[in-house]
Amino acid sequence: MALGVALKRMDEGSRRLLALALSLVAIWAVFQVLTGGLFLTPRNFYNLAVQSSTVAVLTIGMVMVIMTRNIDLSVGSILGLTGMVIALLQIEVFPADAAWNWPLTVLLGLALGTVIGLWQGFLVAYIGIPSFVVTLAGLLIFRGATFEVAQGQTLSPFQNIYRIFGGGAAGSLGETASWIVAALCAGIAGILIMRARRDRLLLVTTALGIAGLVAAVAMFNAYDRPRSELGHGIPSTILILGCLAAIAVFVMRRMPIGTHILAVGKDVEAARLVGVPTRRVVLKVFAAMGALCAVGAIITTARLNAGTTNLGTLMELNVIAAAVIGGASLDGGRGSIIGGVLGAFVIQSLDTGLVLLGVSSSMRQILIGFVLIGAVWFDRVAARHR
Amino acid sequence: MTITTLLRKTVLATALSVGAQAAMAETIGVSWARFQEERWKTDEAALKERLEELGHNLLTADARGSVERQAADIEGLLARGAEVLLVVGHDTTAVIPAVERALAEGVPVIAYERQIKHPDVTYIGFDPVLVGEAQARALMEVQPEGNYVLIKGGQQDQYAHGTFQGQMNVISEAVESGKINIIAEQWTTDWKPEVAQSNMENIITAHGDSIEAVLSSNDGMASGVAAALEQAGMLGLPLSGQDGDIAAVNRIARGAQTMTAWKDVRVLGRAAAELANAIAGGTDPMTLDGATTFVDEEMGIEQAALPLEPVTITIENIDLMVDAGWITTEEVCRGVESGKLSLCD
Repeated sequence: MALGVALKRMDEGSRRLLALALSLVAIWAVFQVLTGGLFLTPRNFYNLAVQSSTVAVLTIGMVMVIMTRNIDLSVGSILGLTGMVIALLQIEVFPADAAWNWPLTVLLGLALGTVIGLWQGFLVAYIGIPSFVVTLAGLLIFRGATFEVAQGQTLSPFQNIYRIFGGGAAGSLGETASWIVAALCAGIAGILIMRARRDRLLLVTTALGIAGLVAAVAMFNAYDRPRSELGHGIPSTILILGCLAAIAVFVMRRMPIGTHILAVGKDVEAARLVGVPTRRVVLKVFAAMGALCAVGAIITTARLNAGTTNLGTLMELNVIAAAVIGGASLDGGRGSIIGGVLGAFVIQSLDTGLVLLGVSSSMRQILIGFVLIGAVWFDRVAARHR
Repeated sequence: MTITTLLRKTVLATALSVGAQAAMAETIGVSWARFQEERWKTDEAALKERLEELGHNLLTADARGSVERQAADIEGLLARGAEVLLVVGHDTTAVIPAVERALAEGVPVIAYERQIKHPDVTYIGFDPVLVGEAQARALMEVQPEGNYVLIKGGQQDQYAHGTFQGQMNVISEAVESGKINIIAEQWTTDWKPEVAQSNMENIITAHGDSIEAVLSSNDGMASGVAAALEQAGMLGLPLSGQDGDIAAVNRIARGAQTMTAWKDVRVLGRAAAELANAIAGGTDPMTLDGATTFVDEEMGIEQAALPLEPVTITIENIDLMVDAGWITTEEVCRGVESGKLSLCD
């Protein structure tokens, strides 16, 4: 009874998140059974986390873009271009053994992503070209540019330190540091909910969240590094994702621009009338999206240890799907960062689980397509019942 | 026949020496399937250079991966006066109606690299079946039995099926006798390295240390497989590839890949230019060196073909590629420990 009352008191967004988290757990449970216990092994859990990271990072930006009632179809191409530029600079242009090489290429990559985002945001917000058109053009332009950068060559290998960003054996925190990070996160969460002591539901969900965190870290630590007894710990990609998601959630909830993004998505005219700088909001959102594409590019190239021409092809589709599964509405004004990240994990979990079962790539596409429709359908039906 | 060609060549040479008379030059058209891949620029450069030496012009069109655009491209090349057509079919079945239109206009068609099954089309290229066979043979040499993983190319691509068929030609006997056990196989969307990497990671999860060799159909995917193996501490497992990518040759030097089926596309480009030249001069392709007949019994098709064989590159013969100017010693030796490979010391 108490649970029912609590559920009714929950706002719609939290209820959707809870449903999503439960479906993720359900998907894992089903695959765990179907694969005969392979799915939730430490190794697969670790791989799953790393494999989901790039799409999840991009989804953070996509949720914000969609909330302003825009779309970005160019994210895969921006990722490809920034990744290829980083590869070219680090491998072909700058001296391979210079210590300043990788930090500089990372900064230049982030700068390039941001500039591309600003350019597209400018076209959308100040010139008034629909984002669908701007980013469709961007998809073509930046994909073509990706080829031109190295004339289609595959570039490899990167500097060793750079590869930390890819979350491989070298790119993980180790056991002790992982527990310290977990303790820090739990501590911050604890302090944050001290204020809301009366809200039992919040206490319960936070406690569950911390339990999940501890379980995840235990899993990461249980996955031993090759030929050693030492655990991997939290992969760097998850650390990057966690930090970026936390910043994004903070921005959306606590900073004026968060409110502005919502206002722009709900009704641009009304927002303008009450003094929201609507154009600048859209510009900033696209700039953030571009920068996040560069982060995705760093993770992907470091992980693959190569820059390739078709890096990130069709990734925009997975990213948009993740945002939508996570509760973002293409009508604007609604979306959830955490939901989007969970959406990315849902898609990757399905993909990974189906590969473990030996399902062909075409069947995987079909199934994931149906899941996308199913998620939105469920959402619609649930909304009508409220 | 030979006399005519000889005559023609002499006439051409004279024409060239007088200063390229347009009347003698034939216009050769190329329809690319998707030009934006690492290799095609090299193909085009070799093709163009040799054709110009022979006194011909080259017209090109890029279908950018679209069946419809390729049909329009072929019509466009005919309209622009192409007298011989080279076609890299994006979809080698769907392109046939456009090819037939060219043939009906009396324009000979050469299928470049990807076979177009039509009796009047001449095929030239690195036969994917031969590529697959070379890959499987090289892996069987180092790992004659045990658990194999197959990382196959794009399922929609005929070339991927050809390579797979070649691999099976070599290993199927061992598979039937139980010496080789294929424990996992996956097609790879668009041959993407990231997809190959994720698939390989998942296969490692499912089969772990029991994996003993990975038949990857090309070098790009091999880079993804190598990254997955490295993550699992299994780098050094027998691993195949094709194309002779610079990164792949470097992996071979570092011991992270066993072989690549090297397709020196410059050889192909030059050979295709000479084939086009011969056909333009009215020579029957079957009279050329290395010509053979490809027979598809199921479809009842016999066609002239000039299949080129890839060169198997292993750690033993990387110097071949250096000598051919395909790759520099510095590119081969990036990150190779000293004393491991004489080429690098």
